[in-house]
Amino acid sequence: MSAQIRLRIELRSERFDPAALLAQWQEELTVPCEQASATTAAAESVFIGRMRPTAADGVALTALELEHYPGMTERQLDRLALECCTRHGATSCLVLHRIGRVLPGEAIVMVATGADRRGPAQRSCQELVEALKHDAPFWKREWRSDGRGEWLNGNTPL
Amino acid sequence: MVCVAAMGHSTATGIHILLFARLREQAGWAERWWPLATTADERVTPRLLWQALALPGNLEAVRVTINQRFASADTLLQPGDELAFLPPISGG
Repeated sequence: MSAQIRLRIELRSERFDPAALLAQWQEELTVPCEQASATTAAAESVFIGRMRPTAADGVALTALELEHYPGMTERQLDRLALECCTRHGATSCLVLHRIGRVLPGEAIVMVATGADRRGPAQRSCQELVEALKHDAPFWKREWRSDGRGEWLNGNTPL
Repeated sequence: MVCVAAMGHSTATGIHILLFARLREQAGWAERWWPLATTADERVTPRLLWQALALPGNLEAVRVTINQRFASADTLLQPGDELAFLPPISGG
């Protein structure tokens, strides 16, 4: 972990409440830790991605299955977050990502970055979201109301 | 000659191969060992193993990782390496 960046990466197999965990993270940032001093960022940017209720062809979805590459996914998220925050000068970064079975409307991912100004906060958050969608080993399978399961080939457009 | 060993071989004497998601289901297996001695002269790459294992589809549509880092399909593999073939990623 960088001496300047407060970073936390978590994969979660259970449903999480983004607002509650964001508040908890913000509180933790006000307390110094072993690797970094306390920080209250002047600017914060947050992205929350949720499971869609329908497939691209309009069929209702009952669930989403999220597979990952144990070990690599965590390391890759760590690398991507550190690179992105360093490049943009962000001082804090929280990444929460679901694995396993997700239900419609539930949060799949939350990325929260903090910086001294809105530019670095917003740019680091957006760039990290795109990076994890393309370069972190996760795979989604949509379970449809007709009982079929289909692996997705890549991501939805930006 | 293709030789795919059963589970239980030492990682130091072979290559641990992993498949995920759609690719795993198409191939019908999740992991295998490829015997490769430290002293072997053979030059083994992910591309060679993709062909030798008769994996389905086009390698160009798949991403390769070696020891959990993205790598070229033409990288020379070493005994003890963990090789994975990743179908298109869809996270976030």
